[in-house]
Amino acid sequence: MGTLIIVLTYIAYVCIVTVYTIKVVGWLRLPPHIRWDLYPVIHEKNYRYGGSYYEQQEWWTKPRPKNRLRSILYSLKDNFYMGEYYKRNPLYWLFLLPWHLGFIFIIAFHILCFFAAVAMVGGLEIGATSANLAGKVFYYILLATGGFAFLTGTFGSIGMIFIRLADRSLRMYSMPMNFFNYIFFLIVYGSGLFAWLALDPTLVEYRAYWMGLITLSPPVLHPMTVLHIVLFDIFLIYLPFTRSTHYITRILAYFFIRWDDGPNQRGSKMEGQINELLGQKVSWEGPHIATGKSWVEVATEPGFSEIKKDSK
Amino acid sequence: MNKITNIGDFSRQEGQLAQIDPGKLLPLPSPYDKMEKPPIRQLTEEQRKRMDASLDGVVAIGLTPPASPEEEKAFIEKFLAGLEKLFAVENNWTFLQPLIHTLDYCVKCQICSDACPTYQASGHQEIYRPTMRPEILRRIISKYIKKENFLLRKFKASDIDLNWQTLARLAELAYRCTLCRRCAQVCLLGCDNALISREIRKIFSQQMGIAPKEIHEKGSVQQLKVGSSTGMNPAALKNVIEFIEEEIEEKTGRKIKIPVDKKGADMLLIHNAGEFLAWPENLEAFAIILDAAGVDWTLSTEIAGYDSVNYGVWYDDFQFARVAIRQSQAAKKLGVRKISLGECGHAHKAGIVIADRVLTGDLNIPRESILPLLEEIVINGRIKLDPSRNNFPVTLHDPCNMVRLMGIVEPQRKILRKICPQFREMTPHGVENYCCGGGSGFAITQSTNFPDWRSAVSGRMKFKQILDAFQDVPGPEIKKYLCAPCSNCKGQFRDMFEYYGVWKKSGILYGGLVELIVNAMADLKKPFIQWEWH
Repeated sequence: MGTLIIVLTYIAYVCIVTVYTIKVVGWLRLPPHIRWDLYPVIHEKNYRYGGSYYEQQEWWTKPRPKNRLRSILYSLKDNFYMGEYYKRNPLYWLFLLPWHLGFIFIIAFHILCFFAAVAMVGGLEIGATSANLAGKVFYYILLATGGFAFLTGTFGSIGMIFIRLADRSLRMYSMPMNFFNYIFFLIVYGSGLFAWLALDPTLVEYRAYWMGLITLSPPVLHPMTVLHIVLFDIFLIYLPFTRSTHYITRILAYFFIRWDDGPNQRGSKMEGQINELLGQKVSWEGPHIATGKSWVEVATEPGFSEIKKDSK
Repeated sequence: MNKITNIGDFSRQEGQLAQIDPGKLLPLPSPYDKMEKPPIRQLTEEQRKRMDASLDGVVAIGLTPPASPEEEKAFIEKFLAGLEKLFAVENNWTFLQPLIHTLDYCVKCQICSDACPTYQASGHQEIYRPTMRPEILRRIISKYIKKENFLLRKFKASDIDLNWQTLARLAELAYRCTLCRRCAQVCLLGCDNALISREIRKIFSQQMGIAPKEIHEKGSVQQLKVGSSTGMNPAALKNVIEFIEEEIEEKTGRKIKIPVDKKGADMLLIHNAGEFLAWPENLEAFAIILDAAGVDWTLSTEIAGYDSVNYGVWYDDFQFARVAIRQSQAAKKLGVRKISLGECGHAHKAGIVIADRVLTGDLNIPRESILPLLEEIVINGRIKLDPSRNNFPVTLHDPCNMVRLMGIVEPQRKILRKICPQFREMTPHGVENYCCGGGSGFAITQSTNFPDWRSAVSGRMKFKQILDAFQDVPGPEIKKYLCAPCSNCKGQFRDMFEYYGVWKKSGILYGGLVELIVNAMADLKKPFIQWEWH
């Protein structure tokens, strides 16, 4: 059993990293698009009221400083706060936020477990009675992170089922997949919560599990912990096939669509990319478009001579 | 009429999906809380036979039902072919990334519905939710493009029947969103359901040649053919300019020669040509200010060079690019250093921002808004102004394209704070503003009962905002000014104020920003603003 969970865990991590990477790279490799800015653009100096560099006369002669750090912090903030939901649908927010925090904290918990295991291999004792302060701190951080993840994840999953059914507007747009996810994630978090509260209050088994993972020595664990770990591994494999990539792509969308306000300049790399795209042949069949000509050829034709009488 | 109770109802062959219920519309303050007439005129039987109105009883496009099953099949196949093209780089590089992002990552949490003025003002009509259009499209893609198997479709609730009725409703529904993008602004996932409205319009236009006449045939096509979407050709333009010069002299006593086709001028100013015909006082005011401030500028008489509108931005990438290119060519021919856009919101966004990645090489001529220049003229005292001449209540409408979609928020406010002692903001304002209700071509769409719909529904939230801004002076005895620095928005206000009888009931006049500046000019003998409804 110990060997099984080690192998399964490695497969799960390889799977989640690979699929997420493929998805993110696929997203980033999409061609440059027409500018579609939406304000406030957070890296702008006057972002507080949504101002842009276009408020200046002859903006192209002025510097356009960008506060990237502010943008990064802003885009990350909502993973932990979700202010628009609080403002517009507080009951939904009450369940949605814990549900999302469950994801973030359970992943964080396992990452911390990895570092704890590395530290333990290095000789650090981790526990409430550890002689080393770092060992004590590590212990309580792990306990807080893991416990918080199980609690919020369980509460959020139950709440999401409730709210998706109770709120008519959400129910109408819900799909069986949503409820499958909520129930599956509830089992994952719930099994973790049960294992923690009933069997492993110090989470020592997780540290043993991660020690086993990095030393490749199968750990001996309580069957309930094993069940939770197996479920968690399946969760990791399944996760990238849901819309969960939005944890990453939402930030990409902010930076590469909503806040993508860099002007195209003559001789720039962007101009080169656009020229390449303008040279591609289009196959639209509208009466005002000459099918088979390149984008730029179509765009430089008048287009009106081909209007058919039957077009609306 | 059968109400929509689930997404699948969208494909229902019979019945109308929604009926605007006057009792459920967003309440308006008195005296607009009791309207004598029904909010939206009913179509006649003949109109209903001729034009599909099965979405909500309103017609923007009015597709004619197919005459035979073969015709229906061909229609559906053509749409599906267009839908496939939407995901091909060569056909749709322009919006592929935001399109895919929205379709893949929207979780249908509905907070965008809370932000949508049309959905809110309609009394929460299910069909107007910003998520409805993408959901229909997503389901069509799942079943007919990706051809996902039955079980997966059930699991994802992505089943839908595709028939002519579905597509006719979808085409209409794409024209119930003003593309104000308030929905996108509140989306924490970076999704943009308004863009999906535009992409659906694009399939219908670029693949099937279907778009409202006012936007395509009488709009962008006419602009490319004649020179302006108004139908005004260069010869007519010259006549209008002469008329404007005469009007300026009559009103101010100043003899101003408006520069036309002046080679090597510093700035080519492009107005929305609607101003020339409907609001010439806006052009007069521009000419007076630029003349007084000693700006080196010119107008153009080239095709599209004297009309800043670019309707393609609402429905068709190629029509958009064609107009943007012609405008830039006009500037290039004159050898100007820069192009400046007058008071037109969508022209700002189209010409300055969106055209940015279409105009390359020597067509990429610097383009800017006129507002920062006006700010500089007013704030730095380049013309002498007396704010007491504008001592009446003034509020400011923020055109979505200029403000939320471009970030030009403060220049117009700095001007108004300086020259209008009774300036007050609407709530909310700036980048959180509400659309006038005439965005994305609605203000020019005059099909059957569509103007009623945009006054009663899409413009309702803005109308309430305006009334609220003037709630301390509600009666018609105190004249008030709604400053709308956008030709398209003014068109909507003209129709909406007419619809509600605002001039008589509340005494609110709408107009541009430059009119207020000229009205405050200390050395003019008479007030420039004429308090007359027209």
